[in-house]
Amino acid sequence: MTGVAVLLGVLLVVAVGAAWYWRGVATAAGTAVAAVAESPPAGDAEGAGSDGERDDLLAERLRAVVDHLQWAVVIWDAEGQEIYRNRVARAMFEARDSQVLVAAAIEELRADALAGRSVRREVDVFGPPVGSFLVVARPFRVRSLDDPAAAGSAGAAGGAGAAQVDGAVAMVEDRTLQRRIETVRRDFVANISHELKTPIGAVGLLAETVIDEPDPAVVERLATRMIAETDRLGRTVDDLLELSSIEFGDDAEFEDVELAALVAEAEDRLGSAPAQAGIEIRRDVPAGVVIHGDRRQLVSALANLVDNAVKYSADGSEITVGATVAGAGEDDPEGTVLLSVADAGIGVPRRDLDRIFERFYRVDRARSRRTGGTGLGLAIVRHVAANHGGDVRVESTEGVGSVFTLVLPPRHSAPPGPPDGSDGGDER
Amino acid sequence: MDEMRIEFHEEMEALRSDVIRLGAMVCETVGRGTAALLDRDLHAAQLLIDGDDVIDDFCLGLEERCCQLLALQAPIAGDLRFILTTLRLLSELERSGDLMVNVCKASRRIYDIEFGPQLRGLIEHMGEEAAFLVRTAIDSYVDADTSLAAALDDIDDRLDELQTAYVQAIFTSHSVDNLNLQAAVQLAMIGRYYERIGDHAVNIGERVQYMVTGWLPDHPGATRPAAPITPSPGSDGDALGPGTDSGPDSGPAPGEAS
Repeated sequence: MTGVAVLLGVLLVVAVGAAWYWRGVATAAGTAVAAVAESPPAGDAEGAGSDGERDDLLAERLRAVVDHLQWAVVIWDAEGQEIYRNRVARAMFEARDSQVLVAAAIEELRADALAGRSVRREVDVFGPPVGSFLVVARPFRVRSLDDPAAAGSAGAAGGAGAAQVDGAVAMVEDRTLQRRIETVRRDFVANISHELKTPIGAVGLLAETVIDEPDPAVVERLATRMIAETDRLGRTVDDLLELSSIEFGDDAEFEDVELAALVAEAEDRLGSAPAQAGIEIRRDVPAGVVIHGDRRQLVSALANLVDNAVKYSADGSEITVGATVAGAGEDDPEGTVLLSVADAGIGVPRRDLDRIFERFYRVDRARSRRTGGTGLGLAIVRHVAANHGGDVRVESTEGVGSVFTLVLPPRHSAPPGPPDGSDGGDER
Repeated sequence: MDEMRIEFHEEMEALRSDVIRLGAMVCETVGRGTAALLDRDLHAAQLLIDGDDVIDDFCLGLEERCCQLLALQAPIAGDLRFILTTLRLLSELERSGDLMVNVCKASRRIYDIEFGPQLRGLIEHMGEEAAFLVRTAIDSYVDADTSLAAALDDIDDRLDELQTAYVQAIFTSHSVDNLNLQAAVQLAMIGRYYERIGDHAVNIGERVQYMVTGWLPDHPGATRPAAPITPSPGSDGDALGPGTDSGPDSGPAPGEAS
């Protein structure tokens, strides 16, 4: 009986605490908690069952709710014996990868929590997968074992400094995503100011030098540099504008685009850069494949991919632009078009793979100055893919090469987002 | 008496899960060390070097517990082999951790050297393979899976091939990109460290086979001439072996050295 009451009180604290923490994020769990919290009075009204049965039922429901939390929850009694472990925690303790290190941290905090201290520890695991966890352990007191509601609030209020505790609870929050978002945001701010300020600063300095420069040869050289810097800034601004227009998809015009023509157009846009580097572009595109999409966006995406491949390939190597149609059949006459650009270039380090589609993200800043890219190309590609209801994937090994694949699903799965000019009124 | 047995088995379970934890720590070290090397992150390298003390300490604690079990419970047959295997496992894992410390120390010596994408790719691959081998070795131990344990030797071939390609790439880099000799030697040693981690995993696999079946697999190949561990002589076989048959042949296999 005592055990049930203790468990009940703590589960209630955990469930309500988590629901409050998540406000709106995990409404399902919140609703479930509310449902459980409301149920005992209902049971009372019906007059069914004794207090003991009611407690058991409540404990069972709370257990189910806490079991479905995304937090790992472990509860110990005053002697440090474990009395409860939820689903996520069980998985953590049974894991054989880095997750067991989080489980170990939980165990290590137990003594502190039982001694009446609230403790927390951040555990970063390298994985794979990479993860960042916050482990919090705190003691709880059960004021009255007969009244679960009061016990719950006592546990919540009886924070630090409690001389005698009735047990302790540990909770683990997975902060991996949050960490990632923070990093992306911080890097973005740093990178954009770098990309925009560097050329502006350079132009300013060059102009200052020109003012007092009597030698026409030097003036010419400085002016050439100024033009180069403004060109660079111009390209960045152009790409930014293109990116935002693609992002909003305001002037997208969806039409049928022939794939082979698309590839030719993208190559045209690159001009003589590949030829100058002695890079051969092989085309492996079946004739007659038609994509439904915005021609300008698709050309831009493809040109960016090929441009990237050219920049990061050694002189004299080969790039393959290939296309395959997957899953074309009865119910899906068009199939999903996989448009790939493969190079034998320097490749992308594994840790950067999932970040290269971020705006202004640079794997190697020194190199990017030389190649003269704006750092927005792959962000544009990703947005174009998203606008077409598709995706862009990358596989890469350093020193071997990279394959970027644009996945374009058939037209009926295109998102309703962009105004569909050509198919007006056709509800699909 | 029964109660003591229960306690004994609980302690063995606890030992098993702590070995999992140790394995996870070592895998983590392999990943972190490789990243520190590739990112030329001196701070991360130092953290890892300092963190190795934790692994060593943890190993010592586990070893102590193994010894206590041996002394107090006098286990026999499967239980005895489990504890003996665990003791061996500890040193293999601890050594693997040390090898990553070596990698980090080498990375400090070449932190100002720019090495090409091909070398980087191969290092990354070797790191992944090494971590995979350690994890698989632990899996085979926890599940007492002899076929997985036996497969470790073949899986290790991939790492060996990578290492060969890697050494070749260092030669190329040395002659083409003017990679200096000092850096080339450090890089070659790094390759060797990864390769050794794989060998330790293979050793664990052999020990796991012993744990389950009671006899030690033959030591093939010239890489391990004259088996470092002599198979148990016949008198001990009664306590260690699963039955009367303690092994295929006692005594080291002749003619394998060279």
